[in-house]
Amino acid sequence: MRGELVPALAALLFVANSAAAQQAPAQPDEGDNWRFTWDEHPSLRFGDVIRLDFRLRLQTQVRGSQGEMGDSNDDDLARRRIGVAGTFKNLVDFQVEREISNDVDPWRDVFVNYRQYTVAEIQGGKFKLPFGLEENTSSTHLDFVYRSMASQRLAPGRDRGLMVHGRVASKMVRYEIGWFAHDGDNARTSDAEEVFGNATVAGRLSVQPFRTGHPLLKDMMMSVALAGSHIDEGFPALRGHTTLDAPFYTSKVWVNGRRQRTGLEFRWRPGPASLKAEYMRVSTERVGESVDDTTLDPLVANGWYVSGTWALTGEKKADDLTEPRRPLFGGGWGAIEAAARIEGLRFGSLDPEIASSSPRADLVLGNADHAVTLGVNWYPRRHFKLQMNVMREHLADPALGPAPDSPTFWSRVLRFQIDF
Amino acid sequence: MSRLLAAPILVVLALAGAAAPAEAQTSDDLFDASTLQELRLIISSRDLQTLRADFAANTYYPADLQWRDLKVRNVAVRSRGSGSRSGTKLGLQLDFNRYSTSQQFLGMKSLVLDNLVQDPAMVRERVSMAFYDHMGMAAPRESFCRLYINEVYQGVYAVVEAITSELLGRATGDPTAYLFEYHYAGPFYGEYLGDDLVPYKTLFEPRSHQKEADAVLYGPIRDLFREVNEPDDAVWRERVGRLLDLEQFVRYVAVETFLSEIDGVLSATGMSNFYLYRPTGSTQHRLVPWDKDRTFSEYDSSVVASIDTNVIFRRALAYPDLKTLYLDTLIACARSAAAQFWLEREIVRNSQLIAAAAVEDTAKPYSDDEVTSAVGYLRTFARRRTPFVRQEVARLRAGS
Repeated sequence: MRGELVPALAALLFVANSAAAQQAPAQPDEGDNWRFTWDEHPSLRFGDVIRLDFRLRLQTQVRGSQGEMGDSNDDDLARRRIGVAGTFKNLVDFQVEREISNDVDPWRDVFVNYRQYTVAEIQGGKFKLPFGLEENTSSTHLDFVYRSMASQRLAPGRDRGLMVHGRVASKMVRYEIGWFAHDGDNARTSDAEEVFGNATVAGRLSVQPFRTGHPLLKDMMMSVALAGSHIDEGFPALRGHTTLDAPFYTSKVWVNGRRQRTGLEFRWRPGPASLKAEYMRVSTERVGESVDDTTLDPLVANGWYVSGTWALTGEKKADDLTEPRRPLFGGGWGAIEAAARIEGLRFGSLDPEIASSSPRADLVLGNADHAVTLGVNWYPRRHFKLQMNVMREHLADPALGPAPDSPTFWSRVLRFQIDF
Repeated sequence: MSRLLAAPILVVLALAGAAAPAEAQTSDDLFDASTLQELRLIISSRDLQTLRADFAANTYYPADLQWRDLKVRNVAVRSRGSGSRSGTKLGLQLDFNRYSTSQQFLGMKSLVLDNLVQDPAMVRERVSMAFYDHMGMAAPRESFCRLYINEVYQGVYAVVEAITSELLGRATGDPTAYLFEYHYAGPFYGEYLGDDLVPYKTLFEPRSHQKEADAVLYGPIRDLFREVNEPDDAVWRERVGRLLDLEQFVRYVAVETFLSEIDGVLSATGMSNFYLYRPTGSTQHRLVPWDKDRTFSEYDSSVVASIDTNVIFRRALAYPDLKTLYLDTLIACARSAAAQFWLEREIVRNSQLIAAAAVEDTAKPYSDDEVTSAVGYLRTFARRRTPFVRQEVARLRAGS
């Protein structure tokens, strides 16, 4: 781990203590309808008509690996986000979030949600497509420093669109269906020659079959998600990266036609534990892309993970560990959680005897990464989070990866996060 | 009665033929000099359009190759050549293992389809390489083919064995030798380019052992050109001889000179068109000929006119035994070319083999009359070169 972490942590703790000192609820100004409070977030309210929550997220991390790493900023305040979220007349929610250090694509979530009816809310703007359990989990609530490789690469991510969503059948069933300009920012690169999905329809159906049943089972949720779009002829931007963002597969294969994403999700958070699993498959057609201009089998990528956590200090996972029962400087050490994840991400075939790296190969020679992550999460007190992960990865074809001479390599990462 | 007997005999013969296992094709079949081959490439129409438009680039495109009953999938195809590059009649290099690491075609990793656009007779390359082989020197095998791309006839091509480790294994018995392709990058006559390896890397591209350190790959080449340019004649032969097979070099140049090559080692514009190889465990380099479509320039071209252009050759010929070897090899070439009209017969046989295909080849940049005339000139060369060389060598021997 690098020495730069120490001053960064000190700076963050200074900010944190200053903020913590302000956490006592501010007294409402009785002479005006506008009032300022600081509960979960700094908040400005105008009676019951408008609520504005101001958000700030700072995080720093240090990383190390036996292989090459991706180009994420790793040892400074890598992510600095500010945002405003609010409500208007309890009918309209809105959120605007911007990344300060990103000049290329600074805007994160920018949307409005109209929620007069629980069975049919309407959301418009830029937000994450309804695909992927982990991808749709805020980074402040992730069980690991990084999302699984499948979530980062195969789930669509954010895009501009309009979505109808709601809960029916006594909130046991949740549905989301939306129309989006493209198929998300996860499948895009800065290379203008690479192609990605055009207009996309995405939907997800989630069921909590025991919502009204046994307390231990009521949180259990299962979902199926689908997303479809058309993709122009070209090399797809979809690619394989390791847990630390180093490339291990680039899709230099001609595609043309329909892209279909399929996802299966499972989540269960009994007491202090949690169990999550996802499977994703992205299939992209190759219409007329063979050497004799006929259609080839689709380019297929699939990924999965199974993860589990255990709150050693006894907090209920479903209630969120970000608010420890016994915080640091409040009679305890905060919340401590152990986590483990196994995952895989695979593109094409792995048999070099029958598959080929030709851009028009019938059987595409791909690559696969299998990783095991072990981690510890420490929530010393509200708004603060420290995560330590150790990852062991194994590449099917190491020559394409970050450690060409070794199919197996270790990495580690330490992240400190403040979120108001 | 005879029909009654013939019918069952034919049936038996047909069954026997069907039952016999199909004979495995080999690279010898592909390079069979007596056969006009037929090669078919299947390339995506979009890629073909781009390949023709960007023929100056070395971009690879995927293709399928069909020869007889053999079909090779996922072959990497690119435009090739220097002056011969053309978008109309594509010169092509076929790499079989670029997209599928273990794939080979008849034991070969790559193959060249020479578009023959720099030779109106269309047989110079094939006959020249056959002559090197005839003289006992390692050279790529060649044959002719009709090339079809997406079932459209592209013209007559030379099928050229790429110079690879496989060729060295076949021709020299050493498939693990260090092999370099010489790239013409301007006038270079064998001067010392300095101690830095970079200039040598520019000129000599490794075709084997690519992952080895620069010092291992290019160090002996740099040493060669340094020693070649050392002034002390007393030690020159011994020191250069450790880094270059001087006898092979002299014989190589003699064959090239007999063929009146104007784009080879003794070219006025600098060394060109050869590969260099270094046997395993040795520092001694040897040459393999490449791209001989500018041979047969003039039947009366002097055998000594160009000897001063190249540093190595000039210094080598200062040694009487090497000069004698040079003249002896020229005489051997003359004798071999003339014996039973070998050279003229090769020209005629190859010309006749491709005659019909050449007439149908509308992409060639020559008229049919020009082809006929060029072949006629080659025959004249074959008849007159031998007496001319004999006369020149005799004159030189008398003078020395």
